[in-house]
Amino acid sequence: MDVGLLTQYVMNGLMLGMMYTLVAVGFTLFFGVLDIIKFSHGDVLTVGAFTALATYIGLRSVGISSTPLLLLAMLVVAILAMAALGMLIARYLVMPLRSAPPLNTLLITLMLGTVLREMVRLFYPQGANPKPFPALLPTGSINLGQFNLRLDNVIMLAAGVTIIIGLRLLLDRTKLGLAIRAVAQDEETARTMGINFTAIVLITFAIGSALAAVAGVMNGLYYNEINFGMGLLLGVIGFSAAIIGGLGSIYGAILGGFLFAALQTIGAVALPFASAYKDVFAFTVVIALMAWRPTGLIQEKISERV
Amino acid sequence: MTCLLEARGLTRRFGGVVALDNLDLAVVPNEIMGLIGPNGSGKTTFFNVVTGIYGAHGGSVTFDGADITRASSRAVYHAGVSRTFQRSRLSLPLSIFDNIMIGNHKRLNQGLWFNLVRRGEFEREFEDNYAAARTLIEVFEPRLAERMFEPVAGLPMIDRRRIEICRALISQPKLLLLDEPSAGMTHDETKELMDDILQVRELNRSLTIVIVEHEMGLIERITDRCVVLNFGRKIAEGPYRQVAVDRQVQEAYLGVE
Amino acid sequence: MSEVRQKPRAPLLPGVVALALSTVYLIALLAVEKQPLVIGLLALAVVAVLAAHYMDWLNPVARSFAEREGTLSVYAILAACVVAAFFHDNHFVLLLFVTVLLYTVATLGLNIEFGYAGVLNFAGASFFGIGAYTSAVLNTYTAVPHLLVLLIGGMLAALIGSLLLLPVLRTRGHYAALVTIAFALLLKTFLEVNDVLGGPQGMQVKGMSILGWSFNDNFEVGKIEMSFYLNYFVVSMLLLCGTFVLVRRLERSWIGLNLDAVRLDETAASCFGLDIARWKITAFVLGNFVIGVAGALFGMVGGFVAPNNYTFADSLIMVSILLLGGIGNPWGLVVATFIVVVLPEKLQTIQEYRFLLYALIVIMVLLFRPEGLLPRPVRRYFPGWRA
Repeated sequence: MDVGLLTQYVMNGLMLGMMYTLVAVGFTLFFGVLDIIKFSHGDVLTVGAFTALATYIGLRSVGISSTPLLLLAMLVVAILAMAALGMLIARYLVMPLRSAPPLNTLLITLMLGTVLREMVRLFYPQGANPKPFPALLPTGSINLGQFNLRLDNVIMLAAGVTIIIGLRLLLDRTKLGLAIRAVAQDEETARTMGINFTAIVLITFAIGSALAAVAGVMNGLYYNEINFGMGLLLGVIGFSAAIIGGLGSIYGAILGGFLFAALQTIGAVALPFASAYKDVFAFTVVIALMAWRPTGLIQEKISERV
Repeated sequence: MTCLLEARGLTRRFGGVVALDNLDLAVVPNEIMGLIGPNGSGKTTFFNVVTGIYGAHGGSVTFDGADITRASSRAVYHAGVSRTFQRSRLSLPLSIFDNIMIGNHKRLNQGLWFNLVRRGEFEREFEDNYAAARTLIEVFEPRLAERMFEPVAGLPMIDRRRIEICRALISQPKLLLLDEPSAGMTHDETKELMDDILQVRELNRSLTIVIVEHEMGLIERITDRCVVLNFGRKIAEGPYRQVAVDRQVQEAYLGVE
Repeated sequence: MSEVRQKPRAPLLPGVVALALSTVYLIALLAVEKQPLVIGLLALAVVAVLAAHYMDWLNPVARSFAEREGTLSVYAILAACVVAAFFHDNHFVLLLFVTVLLYTVATLGLNIEFGYAGVLNFAGASFFGIGAYTSAVLNTYTAVPHLLVLLIGGMLAALIGSLLLLPVLRTRGHYAALVTIAFALLLKTFLEVNDVLGGPQGMQVKGMSILGWSFNDNFEVGKIEMSFYLNYFVVSMLLLCGTFVLVRRLERSWIGLNLDAVRLDETAASCFGLDIARWKITAFVLGNFVIGVAGALFGMVGGFVAPNNYTFADSLIMVSILLLGGIGNPWGLVVATFIVVVLPEKLQTIQEYRFLLYALIVIMVLLFRPEGLLPRPVRRYFPGWRA
């Protein structure tokens, strides 16, 4: 196939990988810190996207039309709102269930996801229909001889990379990051070292949810459309990406996210007759990988003591 | 003298930590052997490797003539090894009877047809095993025998330990591994528990017991001999009194002056 | 020695009274149409249950059911027949009733997987749908006898379920969750893009007929006109009774014990010889078989199948029924299924909100009463048995 088409696929794959990674990192952070699976993560992404859209509509209706300002406002509002939502979820739904079997946390977050999804569907004006998302990034493209690189994709990719690097720096170089890693390793010891466990958990949930918000906005910008069910499949993909990478490892989440995107792209190329099958292909490979390496390609943290 | 259980050069690592370091250990049939050593010396890890929960990174384990180094937990149980756990692992919502029966797996008919259709025969097997479980728990605490269908969740620690030991004994194993049975109990309770175990031993002279313990009084009273571990290696072996005055053992526990 | 079994001590009366009252209430609820009346009846139920709780009338009922289960089960079947007879010419109510019965069967199947063995299955509705689609395809394109179609539906659901579970058997619980959620989402898409299976519109299903007796024709007894749904009622009741007996015997056996052991502590269980993989697969195959058979029958009852009826959200409703009713307790399941299925039908206003509503209720249950409405009691191998 020609180079232009190839680059298309590659760029597409990279964009998807970036979005999946942002979601997967959230899953991995939550599992790392609390040993729990927060199934509502994908739906937090949806709420983030809709919050951004609502902000846009609100600001436009009062006459603001400066694109960079709009975009900035949408991001800030979505991030802050989702961070707050994440903290509320942690404080009122997840932490009270710490002494119950982990199944209960899984179930409660699954149900919460449904609540979030249904609330968008029922209470956002015409939430059941897909909503157009504004194109707020520069629409030009860079011409590199045989193919074009869309400027907005490049910007989003760069933004995603920056965020991941930023997260890595946060975890590795700051006191907060150290505290998070300590809690992820061993809660009891972290507590005896004077780390405020609850605060760290809340902050971690805030960070993870903020990442979801960014992923939601990115999703909207990329597809120019959002719908109430978008978080469901993204959540499942993000979760599987986190698992095959190795739950608890940031690098694993990155690896898993891009691996899944690559599989989808290969599936789309190999099975052009029905795009739905690319997901089936990707998931089948992922499940096979899970069977082969249940603890992930990069070791999942072992949390059971015999 | 042939050993019942023998470990040769047994090695197990966890990341950078060497939990079992080329360990050589032999258990003689019908003895009660104490396995002692400071915290982190590899005692529970040894149990976990023998019972197939962890694999070995080197060396071998032989039981009753067969190599069980790579055997699964299931296979080790079926070969005749039973155990208790450091943090008592009972199924709390289940009844006393249920918990004991879990230990009796190899002697119960697990067929679908038998369990679902042949209810008359199933009832007979149930009654026989109920009687067996009652008899066993009566050795330890007759009052529990009256409460066989109560959930374990509400019971005090000492009763739970007793039930755990019954669970391990009901299948009439050849080797019983006790992991810190006295943890969480008072001196008197521990003494009671050990008396009960000795009583079971009286009834079943062919039972071999290895017991991990920190309570030295218990070890001294019960065991025929001891093996002392430190950093995953055997550093002393012999009757308790002999081992207790061994220089190396004292250093391991108390540190060097 | 069988003389060990003495006379059971709990009286029959509390259970009978509870059954009778529930039957009358159910008939009233099903018969009433006007919304204010429905709301009134619901309020009455809430008040009555709370009052019974405070007067400590619920415990005798529970004991009665626990020890006299055999007799009370027969009375429950009679009660169901009374309800069906009362509405003998009312298509709508009978269809609703049959739907409840079949959903109960499916959830009992899910209970075997989830409640007993602890295998997470968030694609219950998908397997139900596989059964229904089996009916659709076999009835339309082949002449396979319909009872056999039911069996095939069950086996197909069991087979596909095993294929799904096998890769993740030796992994932790959340893997099964992930795999089944992915399956639920992807199956719907698969059904929608496949025109052979009717695409998004779905397919018609020919009604059941056994030995020439067509189930889709109304019939008469003497001069009384009977709705054809009574045919399906009879088959569904038989299926429910069979499933109930299966689930009961399963729980009250060494196999039930094994499933519990696997669910509660895998490591300890394998140290006592249990083959974890074997018991998980057994539970999953049995459970899915039951779900598939119920689905196959449901397809014939409803007359058509469509992807939109068997979505992930529907699977979550099944899980909600389990959690609400009390995981592992079949009687709780029956009650919970009634509540979850009948309520949105009678209270039209909440139809649209039912996913949201049930998700919220389950969240409340998990936070404040995780054992559910009717918590699962300790295993009694033979009810009424005394040592």
